[in-house]
Amino acid sequence: MPNLEMFMLAIGQAALLLLLAPLMTGISRMMRARMHSRRGPGVLQDYRDIVKLFKRQDVAPSSAGFVFRAAPYVILGTMLVLAMALPALTRHSPVAALADLITVMYLFAMVRFFFSLSGIDSGSSFAGIGAGRELTLGILVEPTMILSLLVVSLIEGTTNLGSIGASIGDNYLKAPAAIGLAMLAFGFVVFIEMGKLPFDMAEAEQELQEGPLTEYSGVSLAMLKLGLGLKKVVIAQFFLGVFLPFGLAAIPAAGSLVVALVALVLKLVAVFVLAALVENSMARGRFLLVSRVTWIGFGLAALSFIFYLTGL
Amino acid sequence: MNLTPIGMLLLSVLLFAAGAGMSLLLARCERLAIQLSALTGVLGGLCGLAAAVPVLLSGQGVSFAIDGPFAFAHFVVRMDLLAALMVTVISAMALIASIYSLSYVQEYEGRGAWTMGFFMNLFVASMIGLVVIDNAFYFLVFFEAMSLSSYFLVIFDQDREAVDAGFLYFLIAHAGSVLIMVAFFILYQKSGSLDFDSFRALHLTGPLASVVFLLAFFGFGAKAGMVPLHGWLPRAHPAAPSHASAMMSGVMVKIGVFGIIKVGIDLLGASTAWWGVVVLAFGAVSSVLGVLYALAEQDIKRLLAYSTVENVGIILMGVGTGMVGMATGHPVIAVLGLLAGLYHLVNHAVFKGLLFLGAGSILYRTHTKDMEQLGGLARVMPYTAFAFLFGSLAICALPPFNGFVSEWFTYQAMFGMSHGGDMLLRIAGPVAIVALALTGALAALCFVKAYGVCFSGNPRSHHAAEAKEAPCSMVFALMLLAVACVVLGLAAPCVSPIISHVASSLTGGVALVVTQGSVIHPGNPAQTLVSTPLLAVLLFLIPLIPLVLVSLFRGRRLQRRHAGDAWACGYATEGNMTVSGAGLAQPVRFMFAPLYRLRETLNPSRAMRATVDCSVSAATRVEPVWDDKLVSPIVRGVQRLGSWVQILQRGDFRIYCLYVVIALVILLLCTVR
Repeated sequence: MPNLEMFMLAIGQAALLLLLAPLMTGISRMMRARMHSRRGPGVLQDYRDIVKLFKRQDVAPSSAGFVFRAAPYVILGTMLVLAMALPALTRHSPVAALADLITVMYLFAMVRFFFSLSGIDSGSSFAGIGAGRELTLGILVEPTMILSLLVVSLIEGTTNLGSIGASIGDNYLKAPAAIGLAMLAFGFVVFIEMGKLPFDMAEAEQELQEGPLTEYSGVSLAMLKLGLGLKKVVIAQFFLGVFLPFGLAAIPAAGSLVVALVALVLKLVAVFVLAALVENSMARGRFLLVSRVTWIGFGLAALSFIFYLTGL
Repeated sequence: MNLTPIGMLLLSVLLFAAGAGMSLLLARCERLAIQLSALTGVLGGLCGLAAAVPVLLSGQGVSFAIDGPFAFAHFVVRMDLLAALMVTVISAMALIASIYSLSYVQEYEGRGAWTMGFFMNLFVASMIGLVVIDNAFYFLVFFEAMSLSSYFLVIFDQDREAVDAGFLYFLIAHAGSVLIMVAFFILYQKSGSLDFDSFRALHLTGPLASVVFLLAFFGFGAKAGMVPLHGWLPRAHPAAPSHASAMMSGVMVKIGVFGIIKVGIDLLGASTAWWGVVVLAFGAVSSVLGVLYALAEQDIKRLLAYSTVENVGIILMGVGTGMVGMATGHPVIAVLGLLAGLYHLVNHAVFKGLLFLGAGSILYRTHTKDMEQLGGLARVMPYTAFAFLFGSLAICALPPFNGFVSEWFTYQAMFGMSHGGDMLLRIAGPVAIVALALTGALAALCFVKAYGVCFSGNPRSHHAAEAKEAPCSMVFALMLLAVACVVLGLAAPCVSPIISHVASSLTGGVALVVTQGSVIHPGNPAQTLVSTPLLAVLLFLIPLIPLVLVSLFRGRRLQRRHAGDAWACGYATEGNMTVSGAGLAQPVRFMFAPLYRLRETLNPSRAMRATVDCSVSAATRVEPVWDDKLVSPIVRGVQRLGSWVQILQRGDFRIYCLYVVIALVILLLCTVR
């Protein structure tokens, strides 16, 4: 079992990521606005939205059942558990018993399960279609996700994310081509999971990732917005913690934690800015043809696996 | 009463047999027959548990032998750890299915419910007999008894669909048992005895061993429903009454897996590495295709049946990895793979039983299996919905439920296999891991659809709108299984050592420690570890924090309001606007279209049917030959004889008088002389 100190650190980092989430989505919104030659609402708009929603009443259709009511809490809770599991401030995960690769993947699946089921449970047809698309996208990215992470875990001989990240950070030259390609493939997955074009248009609320939100309002909507924002931050941190762990504290001492905090924020901003740049230079595609695009990611992952086999 | 495990086991089998017999005798008063067969089912299940659980906990197998009525076959009962595990699963599921049947079978009153009690109890008794028997002859006898009694359960409804499905099941099951018989016959030829012990002592190697293994693998694979021998499963399981489907999907297909383990590992010692790779490959293909086909189904029970194909695939992946580990001399991978397979075997029995019984409750109240006719049941059947949701979460392997633990072990075993070994295994492992990940994502879609279309939204027909909660005994059975799903996940640190012990008893006794306090790990805690109790606590407590915060700081916010229709772009909402199951699965059907086309190509039922038609027409061609050469000449001869006799019998009274006179004259002449 983890000791109390590390457990507090885990809770602290989850709270930190939760606080950062609206800022990061705000940055995405501003980037998009600027690239559209608009002024944009400002980077703090998402905080204002959430605070406002907390004051509003929950209104839902009469057909909505108990999954619909529970889902916002389950999703936010699961995302917070994920935020505790990842290596964010320290090289190793603060709670090793949570940071297993398979566990983390299935926790993401849990979020997806409840998110799409909540859409169907609302009884709205738009939410239902959004739910189906969200799950389909999950099917398309899952193989790429597991294969790219499997390559690095085979290189390091462990499926614990903290240990993988720590040893990758020490030595990239162990298998440079394989690690590089795996990083690209996983980056591709992260980009999709963040709900970006050409796969998604998160601002249009009838779309995939926000499709199941159609019938939510008030507090539940605020919870879900927080949860989905946190999902974007967590998946970005997943990428950073495993593939680019530099700047993180090797031992949890106060000084190095402050450095790690600064590094964390800077890296997250960089990921969000980069993702926004790529996204806004993309065209929108037809949903049924998405599988053709995701093959690229899987191809990258497969290539990195072959490089691993040849020992490069 | 203080009975040895064997005594308890005997008592359990006798109870089931008694239940079957009483059902048969009480055909006139069906209600009593239903109650008695349920009662004996519960008692028999309890006795079975009492027999098997001590063996599992102590880790000491027991055996018993008498000569039996036949000179060529000894009646050897051997409850080793694997058999004890199987008996536990069978007994537990039989117990729960019996509780469920108490209300469920009343639906069939007046339609021969007593035969259902007969076949059901016989079915369970033969399965228990099958797993503990240690002689090939009796094994086959029990195997046939199991196939036949389940066949009668499949055709219970007697409609065209059920009879067709039953026929297909009958054919494939028997094609499988022929292969198994041939395998056992080869072993018998070599060892000179039908006892499994003599097969074990044989240590068969070389090509002959491979032939035996492949025969047994395909024979038992047909029973397990792996692709491409799965054609009967999605038709036969839904046709049976729901508690029988739960037993068939939850338990009977595991007999197939048990047979593969028995022959491949126990009898032949998994001596060749490619056997394991074959098992792994069939497992991977079955899991992906099974779930793909499942999510395209509209019939809830067919969906569940296809998902059984998927889960058998996952179990086979674990078993295959274990066999590879044994053959290549990696005891850790061997134990881990088998542990994963056996753990998933137990888990699948629990959650698939739960889901089939849940589908049965829906059927009981709405009289339809078509999901497009359901919807909105969560409001009228809240307990059933809740249990079904738990089953769906478990089957999607979401933490901290039981499915997660066994899939986690499967991943870890395959990871171990990918990490060392030769090039083939280093490629096979990751391919299988990707297949398992894809299966997981597809299963999520499949069960979101299953739950969502049945229980969410608005009712799509008056059947669904007028439904009410299922009777107590059915809800109670569902709740027991839902609790089991949680317990087998939460208590993974307690359960995995027991199953790991079973696995290591099969691989040759190298014990593997997979737990450390409240965490489970793949034999080496430095590699990775996971703690399901911790996950459960966090996943339960953390969502409560925002909930409590929100209800504490409510300010001037109004109460939650649920009213009106869902938003439909300003139009009035209609029932058929709600997303349908087909709509949910449509993108996947589009993207994976080639794999769906494969279903038609792979389905052996058409070939089977063609073979049967062919033999029937051959028989009709052969039959006239017999007629021409043998039957017709006799018939013609008899007819000719008859026409001669007819000359005597003209119907004229005077001629008859003449006969009498002639006869008298002849008699007189005789006596005078």
